[in-house]
Amino acid sequence: MQALFIASTGMAAQEQNVNVISNNIANMRTTGYKRERAEFQDLLYQELRRAGSTTSDSGTQLPVGVEIGSGVKIAATPRVMSQGSVVASDKELDMAVQGEGFFEISLPDGRTAYTRDGSFERDSSGKLVTVDGYEVQPGITIPNNANSVTISPDGIVSAIINNASAPTQLGQLQLARFVNKGGLQSIGNNMFTETAASGSAQVGVPNADGVGNIMQSYLEDANVNAVTEIADLIAAQRAYEMNARVVTGADEMLSTTSQMR
Amino acid sequence: MQNAQLVSLSRQIALQRQMDVVANNMANINTTGFKNEAMLFEQFDMPLATDNEFPGDQSVAYTQDWATIHDMTNGPLDQTGNPLDVALSGPGFLSVSTPAGTRYTRAGSLAIDASGTLVDLGGNPVLSDSGPVHFDSADTDIQISKTGSITTSQGGKGKLAIVEFADPQALAREGNNLFSGGTPVPPTETQLVQGSIERSNVSGVTEMAQMIRVERAYQQIADMMQRQDDIRSSAIQKLGSLAA
Repeated sequence: MQALFIASTGMAAQEQNVNVISNNIANMRTTGYKRERAEFQDLLYQELRRAGSTTSDSGTQLPVGVEIGSGVKIAATPRVMSQGSVVASDKELDMAVQGEGFFEISLPDGRTAYTRDGSFERDSSGKLVTVDGYEVQPGITIPNNANSVTISPDGIVSAIINNASAPTQLGQLQLARFVNKGGLQSIGNNMFTETAASGSAQVGVPNADGVGNIMQSYLEDANVNAVTEIADLIAAQRAYEMNARVVTGADEMLSTTSQMR
Repeated sequence: MQNAQLVSLSRQIALQRQMDVVANNMANINTTGFKNEAMLFEQFDMPLATDNEFPGDQSVAYTQDWATIHDMTNGPLDQTGNPLDVALSGPGFLSVSTPAGTRYTRAGSLAIDASGTLVDLGGNPVLSDSGPVHFDSADTDIQISKTGSITTSQGGKGKLAIVEFADPQALAREGNNLFSGGTPVPPTETQLVQGSIERSNVSGVTEMAQMIRVERAYQQIADMMQRQDDIRSSAIQKLGSLAA
């Protein structure tokens, strides 16, 4: 009797489902967070009678077989890369990407990471950095004597320097796109790195060739919908309970067997 | 006397298998595109060794699990808003190409792999009428129509190979949400819904009730076997004491 183990795969899968949902809920106020969804697949089947096998010399066939499944597994947690809502922040170095594209960040270990979280700051030397102090690529330095920094939708950063009458261009931001952005690896701190599945980054200027535009003084909220998450959580919890009940049922059947004389 | 025990045993074995089927349905209550499985039983007549002078001898009917059938009713649609999620409304299946040949699935949670090919969650290419579907980085705004035609900002990308089966019961389950076998025919009544996935059609309440029924039937059979055993042991005792 496999029922005990089959039901336990169901419990394990629902446990993972609750993990994914709780991570979404925990990050529902995280800038640039993209929700994940747990996807399941059924496990292999044991075929006790195979459909289509011959049942007599005159060539009659079994129309249907007996197949007993062995449970469920978690197949993937695809990230839903839909646009989050953008909210005004009144901070001149906050940026949201509307449409496709990720900001490029150079990590201290030399690798490049990608993020949708555009809450940037200036470090002591005036460089544009993330809240963790990692430099935004391509490097843009905002001098000390600059004020009223403006960022155009196509990523051109300019500022008024020394109270000049015309703004000076300080550089242009670039955004990276991926063939399969769902295949990016999450490394925490709102950042992703490229993988074999995502394909390599294709860097372009904002607002051209399908790359999204940059909105200054806005931030992109997480795309987590509280109602959906709570509904999914309830469904997962009930599924867990029902699988636990099957374990009890199988246990009672086994106990009936062991009490037979 | 032994026959009664053996008939009960055949029922118990069948019930254990049915419990496995219920457990598998329950484990897959959240699996995209999963189809509930039901079990059918048949009577298996075992002729007794009969003596011609007593033509009234009856054969003994055993029970046997005869088939598991797929409940092909559509599961509820769940809106995800993801352009690469497609649900099938109607009896059709998507075709995917696996190393073992073409397989069919209703789990429409699709993805794009590193080379830009449209794949299922197991990484198997999803087939269009002209083979796998490829996207490149310039393709944005992917639209999939009700009939399965894919268009992007770069134009048409082909039409998903949706198939139907005259007899879906002939399909075999392979795991990983895939079905194999059967004779595919062109779709007549299947429509795709983009941005949604089809949830499992397992009903928790029905399966729970089914499980309780299996459990109680199993207990009753065990109880009956107990009584048969009691009858036999008292017969042995009484017959034994007469001889002494």
